[in-house]
Amino acid sequence: MERNEILKQVNAIFVDILDNEGLVLNDTTTANDVEDWDSLTHIHLVVAIEKHFGIRFTSQEIQSWNNIGELVDCIASK
Amino acid sequence: MNQDQKNAMNYVVEQISLKNQLHSKKIIKNLSKFDEAYFNRANDFMKRYATLLQNENKTMDYAIDCYLQMIADVNYESVQFLQTGEYTSKSFDEVNQRVYNNPQVMEYYMHGLLLSQFLWTHHYDILLYFNKIINKNAPHIQNYLEVGGGHGLYISEAIGIIGDSANYDLVDISKSSLDIAKKMINNDKVNYMLTDVFEYFPEHKYDFITMGEVLEHVEDPVSLLKKLHTLLGENGKLYITTPTNAPAIDHIYLFKNADDIRQVIYQAGFNIEDEFCIYSEDMPAEKAEKYKVSMMYAGVLTKK
Repeated sequence: MERNEILKQVNAIFVDILDNEGLVLNDTTTANDVEDWDSLTHIHLVVAIEKHFGIRFTSQEIQSWNNIGELVDCIASK
Repeated sequence: MNQDQKNAMNYVVEQISLKNQLHSKKIIKNLSKFDEAYFNRANDFMKRYATLLQNENKTMDYAIDCYLQMIADVNYESVQFLQTGEYTSKSFDEVNQRVYNNPQVMEYYMHGLLLSQFLWTHHYDILLYFNKIINKNAPHIQNYLEVGGGHGLYISEAIGIIGDSANYDLVDISKSSLDIAKKMINNDKVNYMLTDVFEYFPEHKYDFITMGEVLEHVEDPVSLLKKLHTLLGENGKLYITTPTNAPAIDHIYLFKNADDIRQVIYQAGFNIEDEFCIYSEDMPAEKAEKYKVSMMYAGVLTKK
């Protein structure tokens, strides 16, 4: 899957889990840019992303992303 | 509150912010609702903990790394829990091998848990509830027992309220946990006993027993409560806390809601005199249910 397509699908998951219709993510978006993206919602985002893409993240990976770009790269590497 | 005290908590929060932005958002949000009384208690605890670390030639930075490793474990366990609806560990033997008999894991886990006491702010609300219960029952407490006293906060609180005239016993199955409790409590008044509570047969009954966050660590919580039933005097009180939906590397028994906990209490032959429940995240109940947020249950139990 192309990187842009992954970003688009991740964006849709964020919109759904965070219940934020107007949310637009890009590679440099961090948790500081998205009010409701915190440790609790992060877990639900991870679960939804794993289910959607049919992948599993490791314990280290779940902690490691500093921005959306790194998350997308991680998904692309699976 | 003086500047040093402010700095103790601030330093921990700042370091967590640098190392784990997502987690720090929750901590900063939760801490923002607290007043000076909270920070006074938190900083007193942090000072005792800093002394413990110093005596072991360790730093607060080391403790913060341990805490974040524990958070990584909790996050991973949470993902598994949301996918399967179950805790990953099913038996005590499994947890014993994975955690309790694994010195490397126990080391960061114990320090992580200690630091969590005042970073997970629902713990403070539970501590205030405990304070209220002990104040109410203090005149009737001569023999006090705590089972699994890890951080030593509860028994220290009890001693502060009941005073030196009572007898204080602390039973713990884990040597590392008991060692930390001894250092944190730092009071000769307490009799520390390294034993499985099932193997504990004291000559006297207790007026008050405290068991904080132990039920979720055993395969059969009814048996454990039944054992405490035998240790409690006829008019004694048992204070317990245990969480619902709280995935962790050493949690075995899953309580899905407060009713699951009440069922276990009744099955073990207790009545509930009083109870207090609080979610681990500061949010409306509806949202907490949606996100399966863990709820801490505290109950004061009497014999049927």
